[in-house]
Amino acid sequence: MWVITGILLVAILIIIIEVPALWKERQKKELWVFSLLLLIGVGLSIAVGLDANIPNPFDWIALLFKPLSDFMMWLLK
Amino acid sequence: MLDNQKISVRQFRILVILFTIGTSILIVPATLAFEAKQDAWIAAILGVGMGLLVILLYNKLGLMFPDMTFVQMNQKILGKWLGKMASLLFFSLSFTYASALLFYTGNFFITEIMPETPLGSLVILMGIIMVMAVRYGLETFARSAEIFFLLFFFLFITLVFSLTPEIEVENIQPVFEVEFKPLLRGSIFLVVTSTVNAVVLLMIFPANVNQQMEAQKSFLIGSLIGGLVMIIITLLGIFVLGPYYSATEVYPGYDLTKEINLGDFVTRIDAIMAGMWMITIYFKLILYFYASVLGFTQILEIKDYRPFTLPLGMIAIVLSVIVYPNVVYQQEWDTKTANAYSLTVGLFLPLLLLGVAVFRKKMDQKKHT
Repeated sequence: MWVITGILLVAILIIIIEVPALWKERQKKELWVFSLLLLIGVGLSIAVGLDANIPNPFDWIALLFKPLSDFMMWLLK
Repeated sequence: MLDNQKISVRQFRILVILFTIGTSILIVPATLAFEAKQDAWIAAILGVGMGLLVILLYNKLGLMFPDMTFVQMNQKILGKWLGKMASLLFFSLSFTYASALLFYTGNFFITEIMPETPLGSLVILMGIIMVMAVRYGLETFARSAEIFFLLFFFLFITLVFSLTPEIEVENIQPVFEVEFKPLLRGSIFLVVTSTVNAVVLLMIFPANVNQQMEAQKSFLIGSLIGGLVMIIITLLGIFVLGPYYSATEVYPGYDLTKEINLGDFVTRIDAIMAGMWMITIYFKLILYFYASVLGFTQILEIKDYRPFTLPLGMIAIVLSVIVYPNVVYQQEWDTKTANAYSLTVGLFLPLLLLGVAVFRKKMDQKKHT
């Protein structure tokens, strides 16, 4: 519970710092991207805070580059 | 506005040096000694030599498009959609490496200095100063690099001189025993961690440095100075700790400082010396994060990158906690995937860009004549 409260407080702080300036200049695209990123950040942080299982992006990268890395390992063996 | 920030050639050179030394100073001596035993220093020299060739490639590419960052070059040369995909790959590299480096700093503290502190809190502290630096902008952190560089150099010289009495020359013998392939494996690891990842510096190099012709020289010189520091540290590791301990320790560079003993009076100053690694790793971290945030906004064609530093920093911090579940995974990833990943983005992609750009130029000339 404390974890979630803390993370939400941080998120509110970030909004207070960044949003007023963007709002004043009516930068719609920036606001959308900003909110999306913040949402991802808050979601991930809460998931980690609650020890939930999060897919690891390094697994995807390893999968994507497996042919090349295997080839390099074979070349240098 | 922010796009017009310019740094001087001197500042750029210092950033290159700090980036080249970066994490390499902590982790590379172990890998080199593991692969090439007492000949690790040969692997280091070979690696630095290969690194200079990579820098020549970056210089060539940078000077063809003197007012563009790497992401803008992608879009100009490869066209809109293919360019965006290449830029996305570049963004993913700099962003994931920023998280990986955050993990490295936390892990270094946990292994060597503060074993009972949770990883999260160390990473958050480091993450906050990372975001702060990038929010202040390129000019500001380049200036602070100048100050910290003096401190780094002072600590490095102290380390080298205070270790000279501990050198045992027998450790390096027999020389030239290593076979070719282990040697190459060692040097490739060094080139990838120090120089190929310097592709993120292409977000700064042609566009934001004030004298470009001078800057390309400092790119080479900076990388050479950084390489020399790496060679010296590797040599010291073998001379003082011996090839076996250099290979089995996680951070042989740090274990070196524990050996300092000046007249039984000045001993165990390793915690002060840790400042040295903190400086280089911190600037490497900032450069990765700066490149990823700037790349992100340029992919989306947004002018100001500053509003996105905080949310992206938050994501980077979270990722740094989860990307390496355990040490085995980390070693596997760092020695296998990271090589292929970095070489794709940092060597093959620039080569492709240069090839296409040169080809187009030739075609244009033909049309005009």
